[in-house]
Amino acid sequence: MAMAALRREGRRFAPLLSPRPIAAVRSSLVSEEDIPFGARSISTQVVRNRMKSVKNIQKITKAMKMVAASKLRAIQIRAENSRGLWQPFTALLGDTPSVDVKKNVIVTVSSDKGLCGGINSTSVKISKALYKLNSGPDKETKYVVLGEKAKAQLVRDSKKNIELTISELQKNPLNYTQVSVLADDILKNVEFDALRIIFNKFHSVVSFLPTMSTVLSPEIVEREAEAGGKLGELDSYEIEGGETKAEILQNLAEFQFSCVLFNAVLENACSEQGARMSAMDSSSRNAGDMLDRLTLTYNRTRQASITTELIEIISGASALEG
Amino acid sequence: MASNAAVPFWRAAGMTYITYSNICANLVRNCLKEPYKTEALTREKVHFSIATWKEGKPEKPVIRSDTPEE
Repeated sequence: MAMAALRREGRRFAPLLSPRPIAAVRSSLVSEEDIPFGARSISTQVVRNRMKSVKNIQKITKAMKMVAASKLRAIQIRAENSRGLWQPFTALLGDTPSVDVKKNVIVTVSSDKGLCGGINSTSVKISKALYKLNSGPDKETKYVVLGEKAKAQLVRDSKKNIELTISELQKNPLNYTQVSVLADDILKNVEFDALRIIFNKFHSVVSFLPTMSTVLSPEIVEREAEAGGKLGELDSYEIEGGETKAEILQNLAEFQFSCVLFNAVLENACSEQGARMSAMDSSSRNAGDMLDRLTLTYNRTRQASITTELIEIISGASALEG
Repeated sequence: MASNAAVPFWRAAGMTYITYSNICANLVRNCLKEPYKTEALTREKVHFSIATWKEGKPEKPVIRSDTPEE
């Protein structure tokens, strides 16, 4: 009883006695040496509040991790299945990342939402490097940006070169119809010799490879085919029906673009969820560490004030007896 | 061989191969029986917003969507 009463007294007097009560409370978080003269017990309110907020943040990050994990599972299957769409094209037309053409269009794929680690900055960085690589006299390079995050980063220094921005792609679950309508819009709005799609290819939950897929325009395909190389084998294919080679190539290029874009968007969404999962995992771990440290400080302060009070009571009692 | 004759027509109408194949795919989906039909049709929802940029400034974004705004 006496101890509780004393503690209450002490708390009531503490602000009166200490010259800088708030500073004293703050310092309890940082160091315990700066306690002003005469302050008997320090309020632990601030530490308790901080602990509560850290605990709440941890709950949120844990929930986000769970959401990302379940979304990842659904989208991973779709992304892996969609790989079958572009592989035949690569087998037929080959992937020619080093092709040198006049009009380049860089399609940067990113996410609309943040909190997913560095995947958006990676694709922006690769896009900028590619821009530098492909720029030169009488050459023209433009950006087509998918997703809010890459847009925000590219607006800062290369907004003159942005041709199209697309967002809100993931309002509904991604599907081929949606991406093909989008691909159609891109094809109609930009002039290109080569489209270069930059996205994060999903490897595992923790590793994403920034990847570039190149889609050539039909004229360039023809030019490259005449020059020989992998594309030179195109002539060995027999074309059925009355279409000319140019028509076939144009259809193929359009269809290839929509398929490659579909795969890119899915892979990137998959990487986004994976990156978000690992980011949220590490942030809830950090919150846990922080909580441990705060609990330690809190308990130590509490223990110290109890010990002080005990000593005071005992010494007071012994003074009366003696 | 009917499709061969049709090729120049859709191209002449300003369609790309993608639009053409989408229309064909939609026709095939509509051939499904219920309940698979509605299932297949709800799977293929289109929604995104697209903005063209002129001189470093975005123009008003156009929303391409087949679901009405709620």
